[in-house]
Amino acid sequence: MAVPVRQCGLCRAGNHGVTLLTALCAQFSRLAGSAAVSPRWPSLSATAQSLSTCQVISRKTQMTPDSLFFRKPYFYYRSLLTTPNACCYNKVHDEKQKPDPFKLAQKDLKDLYEDIKKELFVSKAELKCLCDYYFDGKGKALRPMIVVLMARACNFHSNKTRELLPGQRSIAMISEMIHTASLVHDDVIDGSSTRRGKTTVNEIWGERKAILAGDFILSVASMALARIGNNSVVSVLSQVIEDLVRGEFMQLGSKENENERFKHYLEKTFKKTASLIANSCKAVSILVNSDPEIHEIAFQYGRNVGIAFQLVDDMLDFTSSANQLGKPSAADLRLGLATGPVLFACQQFPELHAMIMRRFSSAGDVERAWQYVMQSDGVQQTSYLAQHYCQEAIRQISQLCPSPERDALVQLTETILTRNK
Amino acid sequence: MTLLFGRKTCDRLIGRCVRRLNLFSTPSPSNWTKVVSDAEKIVGYPTSFMSLRCLLSDELSNVALHVRKLVDTRHPLINTARGFVFDNKNNLQMRGLVVLLISKAAGPSLAADAPLEQDMVSGIYPSQRNLAEITELIHSAFLVHRGIVNLKDWTTSDGPLNDMQFGNKMAVLSGDFLLANACTGLAQLNNTKVVELISSAIGDLVQGIYYENNRTGEEINITDDVPIGSWQDHTFLSHGALLAKSCQAAMELAHHEMRSQTLAFQYGKHLSLGHKLNSDVQAFVKENTCDRTSFNFNSAPVILHQQFVGREQWICEINKARSRHHDAGYSELWRIVKSGKGVDSAIDLCHYHGNKALEAIKCFPPSEARSALENIATAVTNL
Repeated sequence: MAVPVRQCGLCRAGNHGVTLLTALCAQFSRLAGSAAVSPRWPSLSATAQSLSTCQVISRKTQMTPDSLFFRKPYFYYRSLLTTPNACCYNKVHDEKQKPDPFKLAQKDLKDLYEDIKKELFVSKAELKCLCDYYFDGKGKALRPMIVVLMARACNFHSNKTRELLPGQRSIAMISEMIHTASLVHDDVIDGSSTRRGKTTVNEIWGERKAILAGDFILSVASMALARIGNNSVVSVLSQVIEDLVRGEFMQLGSKENENERFKHYLEKTFKKTASLIANSCKAVSILVNSDPEIHEIAFQYGRNVGIAFQLVDDMLDFTSSANQLGKPSAADLRLGLATGPVLFACQQFPELHAMIMRRFSSAGDVERAWQYVMQSDGVQQTSYLAQHYCQEAIRQISQLCPSPERDALVQLTETILTRNK
Repeated sequence: MTLLFGRKTCDRLIGRCVRRLNLFSTPSPSNWTKVVSDAEKIVGYPTSFMSLRCLLSDELSNVALHVRKLVDTRHPLINTARGFVFDNKNNLQMRGLVVLLISKAAGPSLAADAPLEQDMVSGIYPSQRNLAEITELIHSAFLVHRGIVNLKDWTTSDGPLNDMQFGNKMAVLSGDFLLANACTGLAQLNNTKVVELISSAIGDLVQGIYYENNRTGEEINITDDVPIGSWQDHTFLSHGALLAKSCQAAMELAHHEMRSQTLAFQYGKHLSLGHKLNSDVQAFVKENTCDRTSFNFNSAPVILHQQFVGREQWICEINKARSRHHDAGYSELWRIVKSGKGVDSAIDLCHYHGNKALEAIKCFPPSEARSALENIATAVTNL
């Protein structure tokens, strides 16, 4: 059931990959600590020290001895994967008892797309057509699913009733609408011609109408948000819109310094992908509970799951074939973007540095970079990093009372790690 | 364009007195300049500083840096950016000024749960000032987004496709940035009714632009088959909804009753329609040859002319004109519209909306701010 790459990555987890990752985790937990991370966020080394199974590796790796990453004692990351909380590998046999997040959320999401289309009521037929285009029920609806599961888990934790509040259901819709609006704009910015196996809006109707349709979806989402009638919820979700734009701006620039670059990448990943999930989770918790600690748990779960989701996405850009992901492989490289696998590979192959800086713009850059990444541990290490974020997500959500939805959210982290498209 | 934005800042910091607002591009700009500069004194706020915070952000200076490369291309973003600097026909900041004036004209609220009167500066609540800024941000965002180019319509003779792609990217990002700032600004107002109202205005803007004909004046096009009533509905969406709803929201922020909200909405709506009619009519009253060869085929005088002579006959005229040399065809159509009843009825319609705006604003208690709003409404009918 696991992706082959990941399995073999685990078997082969040698010093190099593991140490890099460990050091990195410590690195970014420090960096991230200033912004969105709660005080409860442990540095990975602290977590590892608390585990009896951890092994300390004291020697430096030979590959990139100068890297700033290698200043701490190193631990086998594998140790983390066998903690009682770890869900990923040892539970293949009790498959039937696991809550299926998709099934559990299905009832709440049944009419989701129909309801979104009702919200997007507009008399101009052409505009209506553009707006409805991606709400065809063929998307994964990952965000609404996380939102309703989080809502029910929080409701049970707070009131021992799992019943979904109308405002929470609205937030599920709004999260999908904001996501779609941002997809439409991203496709224009990237000049993409296909998305989810469909021709993009900009390809059919032109860039100008596509952008305006995106703006329209956003305005309708914002109206629905206002109608929930809660100022904190409006604030939390407005932050998402700002993060999405700032993340897009961050993607324009690259950093010369390698440490800066990784920090930049993770921050961009939070803003572009995780912020929407984190803040939607926070918003549904605000509607049922006034305790800021619960809001923080919901936020941190969404943040960690969101970053893990994007890391896997960046990994699949290298491992998945063209038709599986619905877009051509190494699409990020072609757009000039250096994602996790490339940044990790750059530790092993410093030749990548120059290519990253020129955004893979010279002839043959994309192919060469792709080769380097495939020869390196970049993909595995990105996978480890994603696992690490999932661990943290599980740790956060485990602070809520047990409920089927809470367990489904735990289960979901595995689904995210093992997806292959 | 860093240069452009930079210059903008300098212009504003150094010599606001030199700044010349040609707001509604009327034949008597001096009159307008006076109306507006008087009004700015009343609100005690240099409205030109309104979106400065946003324009000076790292993100937009980044865009400015990139857009510099596009200066020699024909991407519309360049003109929009110029418009931000020179305050030409884009009527920069006019909406914000009207929102501030109407806030002041309405005064403090008597409602029990109203915001504290002592927080007012020059008779305007801080939240209303923020709203004025948000209104400008949204307006600017759409100036940028409506200038996005369809790459498929772009032929290589127009210039390299890469430049256009890049220009689009910058336009999407900067427009989104302005909108995102408007969204967070709205959230900070802590009033979900206002969030809903202004969000709906954003939706109205998009719908209005969809109804608009995107074709430029370079070729002779067929006029849309719409009666003047629908034309007004569409024009309200694209040119009036934002101001009307912002004026209403300004009342809501001060907890003014529904009646004031409706009046404020009406003022904003009719002022905007009057303004649009005024600028449409300009092309037919000015004795300027360049207007004769570039007027809009969906402007009010043409739509009205079509209504008077019947669509079939008008199409017939257009087809005749098309067979002629470009400028000659244009001039001929211009002459036909000018000699018909379309221009006069457009002027009448402009007066109608100006008067409606006056009627609405006269229901507010007399004040300096109210007089300024009356002057603005009167100036709109000045043809």
